[in-house]
Amino acid sequence: MKLSTGDRWDLIDKISKETVTFGAYKHTLMDAIGELTIKPMTGIPVAIAIMYGFWSVFGSFAGFFTDGFFVRLFDAYWLPWLQGAFPGQGGWLYAIMVDAGGIESGEFVLSSNCLESFGVLTSGLFVAVGVVLPAIIIFYLMLALLEDIGYMPRLAVLLDTVLHRVGLHGYAIVPTILSLGCNVPGVAATRILETKKQRFIMMTLLAIFIPCGAQISIMQGMMPDLMGWILLYLIIGYFIFGYILNKIVPGKAPEFLIDVPPYRRPLLSNIGKKVGGRVRGFFVVAIPFVLLGCAIVGVLYQLGVIRFLGDALAPVFVGWFGVPKETAGPLIAAFLRKDLAVAQLDAISDIMTPYQMITAVVLVSIYFPCVATFAMMLKEGWKELLGALAVLTVVVFTYGGLIHLIGILLGVA
Amino acid sequence: MVKQSSGGRIYFALLGIVTTAFGLADLLVTASGSEFAYRGFLEIPGDIFRGGWGGIIVLFAGLFYLSGIRNFDDIHQFAKVVMGSILIWVVAGCDIFAMITESIPSWNEETGPWFNTLPDFIAAYAPPYAPSVLLLPFSLVVIYYIRKRASGEEGSGNSS
Repeated sequence: MKLSTGDRWDLIDKISKETVTFGAYKHTLMDAIGELTIKPMTGIPVAIAIMYGFWSVFGSFAGFFTDGFFVRLFDAYWLPWLQGAFPGQGGWLYAIMVDAGGIESGEFVLSSNCLESFGVLTSGLFVAVGVVLPAIIIFYLMLALLEDIGYMPRLAVLLDTVLHRVGLHGYAIVPTILSLGCNVPGVAATRILETKKQRFIMMTLLAIFIPCGAQISIMQGMMPDLMGWILLYLIIGYFIFGYILNKIVPGKAPEFLIDVPPYRRPLLSNIGKKVGGRVRGFFVVAIPFVLLGCAIVGVLYQLGVIRFLGDALAPVFVGWFGVPKETAGPLIAAFLRKDLAVAQLDAISDIMTPYQMITAVVLVSIYFPCVATFAMMLKEGWKELLGALAVLTVVVFTYGGLIHLIGILLGVA
Repeated sequence: MVKQSSGGRIYFALLGIVTTAFGLADLLVTASGSEFAYRGFLEIPGDIFRGGWGGIIVLFAGLFYLSGIRNFDDIHQFAKVVMGSILIWVVAGCDIFAMITESIPSWNEETGPWFNTLPDFIAAYAPPYAPSVLLLPFSLVVIYYIRKRASGEEGSGNSS
Protein backbone atom coordinates (compact mmCIF):
# COMPACT_ATOMS: atom_id res chain seq x y z
CA MET A 1 0.00 0.00 0.00
CA LYS A 2 1.35 3.42 -0.96
CA LEU A 3 0.43 6.45 1.19
CA SER A 4 0.20 9.97 -0.12
CA THR A 5 1.94 12.82 1.76
CA GLY A 6 -1.37 13.89 3.27
CA ASP A 7 -2.17 10.34 4.40
CA ARG A 8 1.24 10.10 6.04
CA TRP A 9 0.68 13.28 8.04
CA ASP A 10 -2.79 12.05 9.08
CA LEU A 11 -1.23 8.80 10.23
CA ILE A 12 1.45 10.70 12.17
CA ASP A 13 -1.26 12.80 13.87
CA LYS A 14 -3.21 9.68 14.77
CA ILE A 15 -0.19 7.89 16.23
CA SER A 16 0.99 10.95 18.16
CA LYS A 17 -2.49 11.48 19.66
CA GLU A 18 -2.46 7.93 20.96
CA THR A 19 1.13 7.89 22.19
CA VAL A 20 2.15 11.43 23.21
CA THR A 21 0.84 13.21 26.30
CA PHE A 22 0.74 16.98 25.97
CA GLY A 23 0.89 19.31 28.95
CA ALA A 24 2.25 22.60 30.20
CA TYR A 25 6.03 22.45 30.36
CA LYS A 26 7.61 23.56 33.60
CA HIS A 27 10.73 25.56 32.90
CA THR A 28 13.27 24.67 35.57
CA LEU A 29 16.30 26.59 36.78
CA MET A 30 18.55 24.04 35.05
CA ASP A 31 16.71 24.67 31.77
CA ALA A 32 17.24 28.41 32.15
CA ILE A 33 20.94 27.92 32.95
CA GLY A 34 21.20 25.55 29.98
CA GLU A 35 19.79 28.25 27.70
CA LEU A 36 22.24 30.81 29.08
CA THR A 37 25.17 28.60 28.11
CA ILE A 38 23.99 28.36 24.49
CA LYS A 39 23.11 31.99 23.73
CA PRO A 40 26.27 33.78 22.49
CA MET A 41 25.88 36.88 24.72
CA THR A 42 25.87 34.81 27.89
CA GLY A 43 27.36 31.55 26.61
CA ILE A 44 30.70 33.03 25.54
CA PRO A 45 31.51 34.42 29.03
CA VAL A 46 30.60 31.02 30.47
CA ALA A 47 32.81 29.25 27.91
CA ILE A 48 35.67 31.63 28.80
CA ALA A 49 35.17 30.76 32.49
CA ILE A 50 35.06 27.01 31.83
CA MET A 51 38.24 27.13 29.75
CA TYR A 52 39.88 29.14 32.55
CA GLY A 53 38.85 26.52 35.10
CA PHE A 54 40.04 23.74 32.80
CA TRP A 55 43.55 25.17 32.36
CA SER A 56 43.89 26.43 35.91
CA VAL A 57 43.12 23.01 37.39
CA PHE A 58 45.30 21.38 34.70
CA GLY A 59 48.26 23.59 35.65
CA SER A 60 47.84 23.20 39.42
CA PHE A 61 47.38 19.42 39.29
CA ALA A 62 50.23 18.78 36.82
CA GLY A 63 52.51 21.19 38.71
CA PHE A 64 51.69 19.50 42.02
CA PHE A 65 52.89 16.09 40.82
CA THR A 66 55.61 17.12 38.35
CA ASP A 67 57.30 20.03 40.13
CA GLY A 68 56.28 18.98 43.63
CA PHE A 69 57.44 15.36 43.50
CA PHE A 70 58.59 13.91 40.17
CA VAL A 71 61.30 16.50 39.39
CA ARG A 72 62.92 15.74 42.70
CA LEU A 73 62.40 11.99 42.45
CA PHE A 74 64.04 11.85 39.04
CA ASP A 75 66.74 14.56 39.41
CA ALA A 76 67.82 13.97 43.01
CA TYR A 77 67.46 10.18 43.25
CA TRP A 78 66.84 8.32 39.98
CA LEU A 79 69.38 10.14 37.74
CA PRO A 80 72.36 10.07 40.15
CA TRP A 81 71.68 6.43 41.00
CA LEU A 82 71.46 5.40 37.33
CA GLN A 83 74.52 7.48 36.38
CA GLY A 84 76.52 5.48 38.90
CA ALA A 85 74.93 2.07 38.43
CA PHE A 86 74.83 1.87 34.61
CA PRO A 87 78.12 0.55 33.21
CA GLY A 88 80.21 2.13 30.45
CA GLN A 89 80.12 5.82 31.35
CA GLY A 90 81.04 7.93 28.31
CA GLY A 91 80.24 5.10 25.87
CA TRP A 92 77.57 5.26 23.15
CA LEU A 93 75.15 2.89 24.91
CA TYR A 94 75.49 4.89 28.13
CA ALA A 95 74.79 8.11 26.17
CA ILE A 96 71.67 6.66 24.56
CA MET A 97 70.26 4.91 27.63
CA VAL A 98 71.33 7.17 30.51
CA ASP A 99 73.17 10.40 29.85
CA ALA A 100 74.64 12.00 26.73
CA GLY A 101 76.39 14.43 29.09
CA GLY A 102 78.76 17.08 27.77
CA ILE A 103 82.43 17.83 27.34
CA GLU A 104 84.04 20.49 29.54
CA SER A 105 87.81 21.12 29.29
CA GLY A 106 88.16 17.88 27.35
CA GLU A 107 86.47 15.81 30.06
CA PHE A 108 83.11 14.03 30.04
CA VAL A 109 80.66 15.76 32.41
CA LEU A 110 77.40 14.21 33.60
CA SER A 111 74.10 16.08 33.31
CA SER A 112 72.52 17.54 36.43
CA ASN A 113 68.89 16.88 35.53
CA CYS A 114 66.75 14.49 33.55
CA LEU A 115 65.74 16.97 30.87
CA GLU A 116 69.36 17.57 29.84
CA SER A 117 70.52 13.98 29.93
CA PHE A 118 68.52 12.80 26.86
CA GLY A 119 68.73 9.15 27.89
CA VAL A 120 65.95 6.63 27.30
CA LEU A 121 65.84 5.66 30.98
CA THR A 122 66.23 9.24 32.24
CA SER A 123 64.66 11.87 29.95
CA GLY A 124 62.38 9.29 28.33
CA LEU A 125 60.98 7.96 31.59
CA PHE A 126 60.81 11.39 33.19
CA VAL A 127 58.82 12.87 30.30
CA ALA A 128 56.51 9.85 30.06
CA VAL A 129 55.83 9.28 33.76
CA GLY A 130 56.86 12.48 35.52
CA VAL A 131 55.41 15.02 33.12
CA VAL A 132 52.90 13.45 30.75
CA LEU A 133 51.09 11.05 33.10
CA PRO A 134 49.74 13.66 35.59
CA ALA A 135 48.88 16.04 32.73
CA ILE A 136 47.01 13.41 30.75
CA ILE A 137 45.09 12.12 33.78
CA ILE A 138 43.80 15.57 34.76
CA PHE A 139 43.11 16.52 31.13
CA TYR A 140 40.93 13.49 30.48
CA LEU A 141 39.28 13.81 33.90
CA MET A 142 38.21 17.38 33.18
CA LEU A 143 37.09 16.46 29.66
CA ALA A 144 35.02 13.52 30.95
CA LEU A 145 33.39 15.81 33.54
CA LEU A 146 32.42 18.36 30.88
CA GLU A 147 31.04 15.57 28.67
CA ASP A 148 29.03 13.94 31.44
CA ILE A 149 27.61 17.20 32.78
CA GLY A 150 26.34 17.90 29.26
CA TYR A 151 28.44 20.96 28.49
CA MET A 152 30.19 19.71 25.33
CA PRO A 153 27.08 19.76 23.06
CA ARG A 154 26.43 23.33 24.22
CA LEU A 155 29.99 24.31 23.38
CA ALA A 156 29.47 22.72 19.94
CA VAL A 157 26.34 24.84 19.37
CA LEU A 158 28.07 27.96 20.65
CA LEU A 159 31.08 27.58 18.34
CA ASP A 160 29.12 26.39 15.30
CA THR A 161 29.07 29.80 13.56
CA VAL A 162 32.80 30.39 14.12
CA LEU A 163 33.75 26.90 12.94
CA HIS A 164 31.64 27.30 9.77
CA ARG A 165 34.10 30.02 8.73
CA VAL A 166 36.78 27.33 8.49
CA GLY A 167 34.54 24.86 6.67
CA LEU A 168 33.66 22.88 9.78
CA HIS A 169 30.71 22.86 12.17
CA GLY A 170 30.13 22.71 15.91
CA TYR A 171 30.96 19.00 16.21
CA ALA A 172 34.54 19.84 15.15
CA ILE A 173 35.13 20.99 18.72
CA VAL A 174 35.17 17.30 19.78
CA PRO A 175 38.26 16.24 17.74
CA THR A 176 39.86 19.62 18.50
CA ILE A 177 39.57 19.22 22.27
CA LEU A 178 40.43 15.51 22.13
CA SER A 179 43.59 16.47 20.24
CA LEU A 180 44.61 18.73 23.09
CA GLY A 181 45.04 15.44 24.98
CA CYS A 182 46.53 13.40 22.14
CA ASN A 183 46.34 13.94 18.37
CA VAL A 184 45.77 10.22 17.73
CA PRO A 185 42.20 9.96 19.14
CA GLY A 186 41.62 13.45 17.72
CA VAL A 187 42.34 12.23 14.18
CA ALA A 188 40.13 9.17 14.79
CA ALA A 189 37.31 11.47 15.97
CA THR A 190 37.31 13.36 12.63
CA ARG A 191 35.08 10.50 11.43
CA ILE A 192 32.13 12.22 13.11
CA LEU A 193 32.33 14.87 10.38
CA GLU A 194 30.15 14.15 7.36
CA THR A 195 32.11 15.10 4.24
CA LYS A 196 35.61 14.35 2.94
CA LYS A 197 36.30 18.08 2.77
CA GLN A 198 35.50 18.54 6.46
CA ARG A 199 37.51 15.51 7.50
CA PHE A 200 40.52 16.68 5.47
CA ILE A 201 40.40 20.23 6.85
CA MET A 202 39.98 18.97 10.41
CA MET A 203 42.77 16.40 10.17
CA THR A 204 45.16 18.93 8.65
CA LEU A 205 44.39 21.59 11.26
CA LEU A 206 44.78 19.07 14.10
CA ALA A 207 48.12 17.83 12.81
CA ILE A 208 49.47 21.35 12.41
CA PHE A 209 47.96 23.68 14.99
CA ILE A 210 46.78 21.63 17.97
CA PRO A 211 49.52 20.83 20.50
CA CYS A 212 48.99 17.57 22.40
CA GLY A 213 48.66 17.34 26.19
CA ALA A 214 52.23 16.10 26.55
CA GLN A 215 53.59 19.11 24.68
CA ILE A 216 51.34 21.50 26.61
CA SER A 217 52.42 20.05 29.95
CA ILE A 218 56.10 20.44 29.01
CA MET A 219 55.46 24.02 27.88
CA GLN A 220 53.58 24.70 31.11
CA GLY A 221 56.50 23.38 33.13
CA MET A 222 59.40 24.80 31.12
CA MET A 223 58.17 28.11 29.77
CA PRO A 224 54.93 29.17 31.50
CA ASP A 225 55.52 32.87 30.70
CA LEU A 226 55.68 32.23 26.95
CA MET A 227 52.84 29.72 26.76
CA GLY A 228 50.12 32.33 26.19
CA TRP A 229 51.93 33.74 23.16
CA ILE A 230 52.64 30.31 21.71
CA LEU A 231 48.99 29.26 22.02
CA LEU A 232 47.85 32.60 20.59
CA TYR A 233 49.98 32.06 17.47
CA LEU A 234 48.59 28.54 17.10
CA ILE A 235 44.95 29.66 17.50
CA ILE A 236 45.40 32.47 14.97
CA GLY A 237 47.05 30.02 12.56
CA TYR A 238 44.20 27.51 13.07
CA PHE A 239 41.65 30.04 11.87
CA ILE A 240 43.71 31.72 9.12
CA PHE A 241 44.70 28.46 7.43
CA GLY A 242 41.31 26.88 8.14
CA TYR A 243 39.68 29.80 6.32
CA ILE A 244 42.08 29.42 3.37
CA LEU A 245 41.56 25.64 3.23
CA ASN A 246 37.80 26.14 3.26
CA LYS A 247 38.13 28.38 0.20
CA ILE A 248 40.44 26.13 -1.83
CA VAL A 249 39.42 22.57 -0.90
CA PRO A 250 36.49 21.39 -3.06
CA GLY A 251 33.47 19.75 -1.42
CA LYS A 252 30.58 20.51 0.90
CA ALA A 253 30.45 21.70 4.49
CA PRO A 254 26.89 20.88 5.61
CA GLU A 255 25.01 22.17 8.64
CA PHE A 256 24.61 19.89 11.64
CA LEU A 257 21.73 18.89 13.85
CA ILE A 258 22.41 18.19 17.49
CA ASP A 259 20.28 17.05 20.38
CA VAL A 260 21.31 19.15 23.37
CA PRO A 261 20.71 17.10 26.52
CA PRO A 262 19.77 18.68 29.87
CA TYR A 263 22.52 19.25 32.41
CA ARG A 264 23.01 16.15 34.54
CA ARG A 265 24.95 15.14 37.62
CA PRO A 266 28.04 13.20 36.41
CA LEU A 267 28.32 9.55 37.39
CA LEU A 268 31.58 8.56 39.04
CA SER A 269 31.56 5.14 37.35
CA ASN A 270 31.21 6.74 33.89
CA ILE A 271 34.00 9.20 34.57
CA GLY A 272 36.24 6.42 35.88
CA LYS A 273 35.65 4.23 32.82
CA LYS A 274 36.26 7.08 30.36
CA VAL A 275 39.40 8.38 32.05
CA GLY A 276 40.79 4.86 32.59
CA GLY A 277 40.21 3.84 28.96
CA ARG A 278 41.65 7.04 27.50
CA VAL A 279 44.72 7.09 29.75
CA ARG A 280 45.39 3.42 28.96
CA GLY A 281 44.98 4.09 25.23
CA PHE A 282 47.27 7.09 25.42
CA PHE A 283 49.98 5.14 27.17
CA VAL A 284 49.84 2.21 24.79
CA VAL A 285 50.45 4.68 21.95
CA ALA A 286 52.68 7.25 23.64
CA ILE A 287 55.06 5.39 25.97
CA PRO A 288 56.72 3.28 23.25
CA PHE A 289 57.11 6.37 21.05
CA VAL A 290 58.60 8.47 23.87
CA LEU A 291 61.18 5.80 24.68
CA LEU A 292 61.83 4.93 21.04
CA GLY A 293 62.01 8.62 20.16
CA CYS A 294 64.61 9.19 22.86
CA ALA A 295 66.65 6.23 21.59
CA ILE A 296 66.53 7.31 17.92
CA VAL A 297 67.42 10.93 18.72
CA GLY A 298 70.27 9.64 20.88
CA VAL A 299 71.57 7.48 18.02
CA LEU A 300 71.27 10.37 15.54
CA TYR A 301 73.23 12.61 17.91
CA GLN A 302 75.91 9.95 18.38
CA LEU A 303 76.23 9.46 14.60
CA GLY A 304 76.54 13.22 14.05
CA VAL A 305 73.44 13.27 11.81
CA ILE A 306 71.75 16.04 13.76
CA ARG A 307 74.84 18.25 13.71
CA PHE A 308 75.14 17.66 9.95
CA LEU A 309 71.47 18.53 9.39
CA GLY A 310 71.80 21.58 11.63
CA ASP A 311 74.71 22.84 9.54
CA ALA A 312 73.00 21.99 6.24
CA LEU A 313 69.71 23.64 7.21
CA ALA A 314 71.30 26.58 9.03
CA PRO A 315 70.50 29.14 6.27
CA VAL A 316 66.81 28.20 6.46
CA PHE A 317 66.66 28.17 10.26
CA VAL A 318 68.64 31.37 10.77
CA GLY A 319 67.64 33.31 7.66
CA TRP A 320 64.00 32.38 7.15
CA PHE A 321 62.71 31.40 10.60
CA GLY A 322 65.10 33.54 12.67
CA VAL A 323 66.05 30.76 15.10
CA PRO A 324 69.53 29.35 15.88
CA LYS A 325 70.75 26.35 13.87
CA GLU A 326 70.84 24.33 17.12
CA THR A 327 67.03 24.01 16.84
CA ALA A 328 67.58 21.44 14.05
CA GLY A 329 67.94 18.67 16.65
CA PRO A 330 64.69 19.41 18.46
CA LEU A 331 62.86 19.75 15.13
CA ILE A 332 64.01 16.29 14.07
CA ALA A 333 63.07 14.94 17.49
CA ALA A 334 59.64 16.55 17.03
CA PHE A 335 58.78 13.96 14.41
CA LEU A 336 59.11 11.30 17.09
CA ARG A 337 57.82 13.20 20.11
CA LYS A 338 56.93 16.89 20.25
CA ASP A 339 57.12 16.95 24.06
CA LEU A 340 60.72 15.76 23.92
CA ALA A 341 61.47 18.39 21.28
CA VAL A 342 60.14 21.19 23.51
CA ALA A 343 62.22 19.84 26.40
CA GLN A 344 65.28 19.89 24.12
CA LEU A 345 64.51 23.48 23.13
CA ASP A 346 64.34 24.42 26.81
CA ALA A 347 67.79 22.88 27.30
CA ILE A 348 69.23 25.34 24.72
CA SER A 349 67.14 28.30 25.91
CA ASP A 350 70.27 30.20 26.98
CA ILE A 351 71.25 30.75 23.34
CA MET A 352 67.79 32.03 22.33
CA THR A 353 65.82 35.22 22.96
CA PRO A 354 62.25 34.78 24.30
CA TYR A 355 60.85 35.58 20.84
CA GLN A 356 63.13 32.99 19.21
CA MET A 357 61.88 30.48 21.79
CA ILE A 358 58.25 31.30 20.93
CA THR A 359 59.06 30.91 17.19
CA ALA A 360 60.91 27.63 17.78
CA VAL A 361 58.09 26.11 19.86
CA VAL A 362 55.46 27.21 17.33
CA LEU A 363 57.64 25.61 14.61
CA VAL A 364 57.85 22.39 16.63
CA SER A 365 54.05 22.40 16.85
CA ILE A 366 53.28 23.15 13.20
CA TYR A 367 56.14 21.06 11.83
CA PHE A 368 55.59 17.41 10.84
CA PRO A 369 53.01 15.59 13.02
CA CYS A 370 54.48 13.15 15.52
CA VAL A 371 54.95 9.64 14.15
CA ALA A 372 51.91 8.23 16.05
CA THR A 373 49.65 10.86 14.48
CA PHE A 374 51.33 10.25 11.12
CA ALA A 375 50.44 6.54 11.38
CA MET A 376 46.85 7.37 12.33
CA MET A 377 46.49 9.76 9.38
CA LEU A 378 47.85 7.11 7.04
CA LYS A 379 45.13 4.79 8.35
CA GLU A 380 42.53 7.40 7.33
CA GLY A 381 43.82 7.37 3.73
CA TRP A 382 47.14 7.99 1.96
CA LYS A 383 45.67 10.68 -0.33
CA GLU A 384 44.49 12.66 2.70
CA LEU A 385 47.89 12.18 4.34
CA LEU A 386 49.78 13.44 1.27
CA GLY A 387 47.41 16.40 0.95
CA ALA A 388 47.85 17.24 4.64
CA LEU A 389 51.63 17.03 4.31
CA ALA A 390 51.61 19.34 1.29
CA VAL A 391 49.54 21.87 3.23
CA LEU A 392 51.83 21.42 6.22
CA THR A 393 54.94 22.21 4.18
CA VAL A 394 53.39 25.40 2.85
CA VAL A 395 52.16 26.36 6.33
CA VAL A 396 55.54 25.78 8.01
CA PHE A 397 57.34 28.06 5.56
CA THR A 398 54.71 30.78 5.25
CA TYR A 399 53.65 30.92 8.90
CA GLY A 400 57.17 30.39 10.27
CA GLY A 401 58.44 33.19 8.01
CA LEU A 402 55.48 35.40 8.96
CA ILE A 403 56.18 34.99 12.68
CA HIS A 404 59.81 35.95 12.02
CA LEU A 405 58.64 38.97 10.02
CA ILE A 406 56.31 40.05 12.86
CA GLY A 407 59.27 39.76 15.25
CA ILE A 408 61.42 41.92 12.96
CA LEU A 409 58.68 44.56 12.66
CA LEU A 410 58.20 44.59 16.45
CA GLY A 411 61.97 44.72 16.94
CA VAL A 412 62.06 41.56 19.09
CA ALA A 413 63.30 38.94 16.60
CA MET B 1 6.00 33.03 39.02
CA VAL B 2 7.64 32.54 42.40
CA LYS B 3 7.92 35.69 44.53
CA GLN B 4 11.36 36.35 45.99
CA SER B 5 12.10 38.97 48.61
CA SER B 6 13.15 42.40 47.44
CA GLY B 7 16.08 41.95 49.85
CA GLY B 8 17.53 39.53 47.32
CA ARG B 9 17.41 42.15 44.58
CA ILE B 10 19.18 44.71 46.72
CA TYR B 11 21.74 42.19 47.94
CA PHE B 12 22.68 41.00 44.45
CA ALA B 13 22.67 44.56 43.10
CA LEU B 14 25.27 45.50 45.72
CA LEU B 15 27.21 42.29 45.13
CA GLY B 16 27.07 42.96 41.40
CA ILE B 17 28.53 46.44 41.82
CA VAL B 18 31.35 45.18 44.08
CA THR B 19 32.06 42.21 41.78
CA THR B 20 32.17 44.43 38.69
CA ALA B 21 34.51 46.82 40.50
CA PHE B 22 36.80 43.92 41.47
CA GLY B 23 36.79 42.64 37.88
CA LEU B 24 37.76 46.05 36.55
CA ALA B 25 40.42 46.39 39.26
CA ASP B 26 41.82 42.98 38.23
CA LEU B 27 42.10 44.11 34.61
CA LEU B 28 43.60 47.50 35.47
CA VAL B 29 46.20 45.98 37.80
CA THR B 30 47.10 43.39 35.14
CA ALA B 31 47.39 46.10 32.51
CA SER B 32 49.74 48.04 34.79
CA GLY B 33 51.95 44.96 35.04
CA SER B 34 52.25 45.02 38.85
CA GLU B 35 50.45 43.46 41.83
CA PHE B 36 48.21 45.33 44.22
CA ALA B 37 47.77 44.56 47.94
CA TYR B 38 45.48 46.21 50.48
CA ARG B 39 45.79 45.94 54.28
CA GLY B 40 47.08 42.41 54.19
CA PHE B 41 43.82 40.74 53.20
CA LEU B 42 43.34 41.66 49.53
CA GLU B 43 45.82 40.94 46.79
CA ILE B 44 45.04 41.50 43.13
CA PRO B 45 47.28 39.29 40.98
CA GLY B 46 49.08 41.04 38.16
CA ASP B 47 49.78 38.03 35.93
CA ILE B 48 47.97 37.70 32.64
CA PHE B 49 46.33 34.36 33.54
CA ARG B 50 44.82 35.03 36.98
CA GLY B 51 44.61 38.80 36.79
CA GLY B 52 43.74 39.15 33.10
CA TRP B 53 41.74 36.05 32.19
CA GLY B 54 40.42 35.59 35.76
CA GLY B 55 39.62 39.32 35.96
CA ILE B 56 37.50 39.15 32.81
CA ILE B 57 35.48 36.32 34.39
CA VAL B 58 34.97 38.26 37.65
CA LEU B 59 33.85 41.23 35.56
CA PHE B 60 31.38 39.01 33.67
CA ALA B 61 30.11 37.64 37.00
CA GLY B 62 29.37 41.20 38.15
CA LEU B 63 27.57 41.96 34.89
CA PHE B 64 25.52 38.76 35.23
CA TYR B 65 24.43 39.87 38.72
CA LEU B 66 23.52 43.36 37.56
CA SER B 67 21.71 42.07 34.50
CA GLY B 68 19.77 39.48 36.53
CA ILE B 69 18.38 41.73 39.27
CA ARG B 70 15.83 43.36 36.99
CA ASN B 71 12.66 41.23 37.15
CA PHE B 72 14.51 39.03 39.64
CA ASP B 73 11.51 36.72 40.14
CA ASP B 74 11.56 35.56 36.53
CA ILE B 75 13.43 32.27 36.30
CA HIS B 76 15.52 33.37 33.31
CA GLN B 77 16.63 36.50 35.13
CA PHE B 78 17.29 34.54 38.32
CA ALA B 79 19.38 32.09 36.26
CA LYS B 80 21.69 34.99 35.37
CA VAL B 81 22.23 35.70 39.07
CA VAL B 82 22.98 32.01 39.65
CA MET B 83 25.38 32.08 36.71
CA GLY B 84 27.15 35.09 38.22
CA SER B 85 27.77 33.05 41.36
CA ILE B 86 28.90 30.02 39.33
CA LEU B 87 31.51 32.16 37.56
CA ILE B 88 32.86 33.33 40.93
CA TRP B 89 32.91 29.71 42.16
CA VAL B 90 34.98 28.71 39.11
CA VAL B 91 37.63 31.40 39.66
CA ALA B 92 37.69 31.10 43.46
CA GLY B 93 37.65 27.30 43.25
CA CYS B 94 40.70 27.39 41.00
CA ASP B 95 42.49 29.77 43.39
CA ILE B 96 41.73 27.52 46.37
CA PHE B 97 42.76 24.40 44.46
CA ALA B 98 46.05 26.13 43.57
CA MET B 99 46.55 26.98 47.28
CA ILE B 100 45.99 23.34 48.24
CA THR B 101 48.40 21.97 45.63
CA GLU B 102 51.04 24.54 46.59
CA SER B 103 50.70 23.89 50.34
CA ILE B 104 51.42 20.14 50.35
CA PRO B 105 54.86 19.51 48.76
CA SER B 106 58.04 20.96 50.28
CA TRP B 107 59.22 22.10 46.80
CA ASN B 108 62.79 21.10 47.67
CA GLU B 109 64.62 20.09 44.51
CA GLU B 110 67.35 18.32 46.44
CA THR B 111 67.11 15.95 49.38
CA GLY B 112 65.09 16.77 52.50
CA PRO B 113 61.48 16.33 53.55
CA TRP B 114 59.03 15.61 50.73
CA PHE B 115 56.10 17.36 52.39
CA ASN B 116 55.66 20.86 53.76
CA THR B 117 56.05 21.54 57.48
CA LEU B 118 52.82 22.17 59.40
CA PRO B 119 53.48 25.92 59.97
CA ASP B 120 54.27 26.44 56.27
CA PHE B 121 51.26 24.34 55.29
CA ILE B 122 48.96 26.53 57.41
CA ALA B 123 50.69 29.72 56.28
CA ALA B 124 49.81 28.84 52.67
CA TYR B 125 46.14 29.48 53.50
CA ALA B 126 46.70 32.79 55.28
CA PRO B 127 45.62 36.09 53.69
CA PRO B 128 45.98 38.08 51.45
CA TYR B 129 43.37 36.59 49.13
CA ALA B 130 42.41 37.26 45.53
CA PRO B 131 39.12 39.17 44.95
CA SER B 132 37.31 36.01 43.80
CA VAL B 133 38.11 34.25 47.10
CA LEU B 134 36.85 37.24 49.09
CA LEU B 135 33.66 37.28 47.00
CA LEU B 136 33.10 33.53 47.41
CA PRO B 137 31.20 33.55 50.76
CA PHE B 138 28.96 36.38 49.54
CA SER B 139 28.19 34.54 46.31
CA LEU B 140 27.05 31.46 48.25
CA VAL B 141 23.93 33.36 49.37
CA VAL B 142 22.45 32.42 46.01
CA ILE B 143 22.03 28.86 47.32
CA TYR B 144 19.51 30.19 49.87
CA TYR B 145 17.48 31.76 47.06
CA ILE B 146 17.68 28.60 44.93
CA ARG B 147 16.28 26.58 47.85
CA LYS B 148 13.69 29.23 48.59
CA ARG B 149 12.55 29.19 44.96
CA ALA B 150 12.48 25.38 44.90
CA SER B 151 10.37 25.21 48.06
CA GLY B 152 8.10 27.97 46.69
CA GLU B 153 7.60 26.03 43.46
CA GLU B 154 6.79 22.86 45.38
CA GLY B 155 4.30 24.77 47.54
CA SER B 156 2.56 26.60 44.70
CA GLY B 157 2.93 23.76 42.21
CA ASN B 158 3.71 26.11 39.35
CA SER B 159 6.61 27.79 37.71
CA SER B 160 7.24 30.73 35.45
